[in-house]
Amino acid sequence: MVVLGFIIVRGLKPFFHSYRETLADGSLAEGTASFSYFWSGIRYNNRFDFETHHYLYGIGHLIVNSLILNLYTIILAVPTSVLTALFISKIAPKPLALILKSGVDLLSAIPSVIFGVFGMGVIVPLIRAWARAWGAKSASGVSLLSGAIVLTLMVIPTVISVSVTALDGVHKEQMEGSLALGASRTQTNFKICLRAAKSGIFAGIILGVGRALGEATAISMVCGSPIQGITWNPFAPTVTLTSEMLLAIGEAVPGSMNYDIRFSAGMVLMLLILMTNVILNDVKNHLSEVNPPPFFIARIGKVMKKGTLAVISSFRKSWQKHKAEKEKKQ
Amino acid sequence: MDSLKSEQNESMQTIFAIRHLNLYYGKKQALHDINVDLYEHCVTALIGPSGCGKSTFLRCLNRMNDLIDDCKIDGQILYHGTDVQSVNPILLRTKVGMVFQQPNPFPMSIYDNICYGPRCQGVRNRTHLNELVERSLREAALWDEVKDRLKTNGMALSGGQQQRLCIARALAMSPEVLLMDEPTSALDPISTKKIEELVMSLKERYTIIIVTHNLQQAARIADYTSFFLLGDLVETNKTETLFSRPSNEKTERYITGRFG
Repeated sequence: MVVLGFIIVRGLKPFFHSYRETLADGSLAEGTASFSYFWSGIRYNNRFDFETHHYLYGIGHLIVNSLILNLYTIILAVPTSVLTALFISKIAPKPLALILKSGVDLLSAIPSVIFGVFGMGVIVPLIRAWARAWGAKSASGVSLLSGAIVLTLMVIPTVISVSVTALDGVHKEQMEGSLALGASRTQTNFKICLRAAKSGIFAGIILGVGRALGEATAISMVCGSPIQGITWNPFAPTVTLTSEMLLAIGEAVPGSMNYDIRFSAGMVLMLLILMTNVILNDVKNHLSEVNPPPFFIARIGKVMKKGTLAVISSFRKSWQKHKAEKEKKQ
Repeated sequence: MDSLKSEQNESMQTIFAIRHLNLYYGKKQALHDINVDLYEHCVTALIGPSGCGKSTFLRCLNRMNDLIDDCKIDGQILYHGTDVQSVNPILLRTKVGMVFQQPNPFPMSIYDNICYGPRCQGVRNRTHLNELVERSLREAALWDEVKDRLKTNGMALSGGQQQRLCIARALAMSPEVLLMDEPTSALDPISTKKIEELVMSLKERYTIIIVTHNLQQAARIADYTSFFLLGDLVETNKTETLFSRPSNEKTERYITGRFG
């Protein structure tokens, strides 16, 4: 909570406090950061608009790039980890399952910078070779795809271990019921076990997405650092909220705009993670229950509608009271 | 499957012939030299105290014991004259359906629950599935209660309804035999009565083998009754005979409540 409050206060500062700085070309700039450009801009660097006296730092593309990178990660990680979890939980003989399980647990303890160097040393050259073979342009392999693969390696241990727990918890009666109807093992695994464990598996995916969205070190090592733009191209370099926050942080002078705006980006990152979690949790609840509760967003809508109606009716009441008193006086 | 069908004409009466069946869980022997014939279109009840091997025996008939790692089976179980150990267990289980002690509907809609078995066998035709769902639910006496909410989750039904849904699900495969492992022990008396009536109505088309702890239930619904004790099949007879003039002293002690 303290951290949250701190980030919000510091994150809002660039939009209210006036910064006096000397730009690269020697001219003097004084003003706040532009709030509208902050959200909508697709270029993040130290520029100054002398007409409106605003610093122009855009993070619109960073938000979108973060989401794109995560989408790629989910596409890669979910099938891999769910199938692996199914293998560990239902198919593998017990000794092998035990070995795989402890291997997965070990993998989740590896620090992200190790994944980063592994990505730099192994995955980036692979992507470079692949891109060359396909004739696609790539910045020497530093790309969105490398980032997604490294992130996938980082999140699958979490997703796998949570999914294995969920799959182990599937009732034996359900599986027996399926087998007794003449379903094969494979049909039972896919149709019954995965279905019964889906909310647990989804919980694992939520944890994984949380980790992927917040990951900075490894991404800044393998994704490059273009100044601007949104990219869907898996072979193009990309820059996300987290990697931009980390970029050249050593050169930023504490108290300068370039330094403080990172707090604002951090605030947005937290907001993004929070919102993603709320939405994913909604979906999870929807999956898990026989009669699922309405979506959170729908609930907020309902509350707002109720609130508005209450305010209107209270206004109407006081207006009628006022009117009645007026009539009395007359 | 052809081999199963071709044998059918030779032994119309006996559907299962069990010869010298011994079953071991690891080193422990759970069934000792079982010999019995089970007849077509009859209700056969298996009674006996807990842990006497009734359920184990039942699960041999559709090879559900295959799922238990250290389970070893000796002897022959002939289904229409063919040893069940030699047929594909998936084909066997489509012909020999099973209903369990705890109602275990799948966490999907009532409609999908019924269609699960046929779909696993590759039935995709929508109209055919619709007919199948209605037929199965009518046979399981559940149609009138759920016909307006086929899309609701099967888990949302009451315990008795869930159990009838499981029966309907088994019937959707058009089996010849229905194995029931204490199907009413988790249900209240009214649901139990409904299931019993259902069993009586189903025996014209299906062969039913039911494990029960309730002796009155066996007396009410079964044509034949087998008494198991400590892994031995003590006695098999027509239900009236077994309950009125048991030929074995152990049976008599058990059914009169002077067991032990």
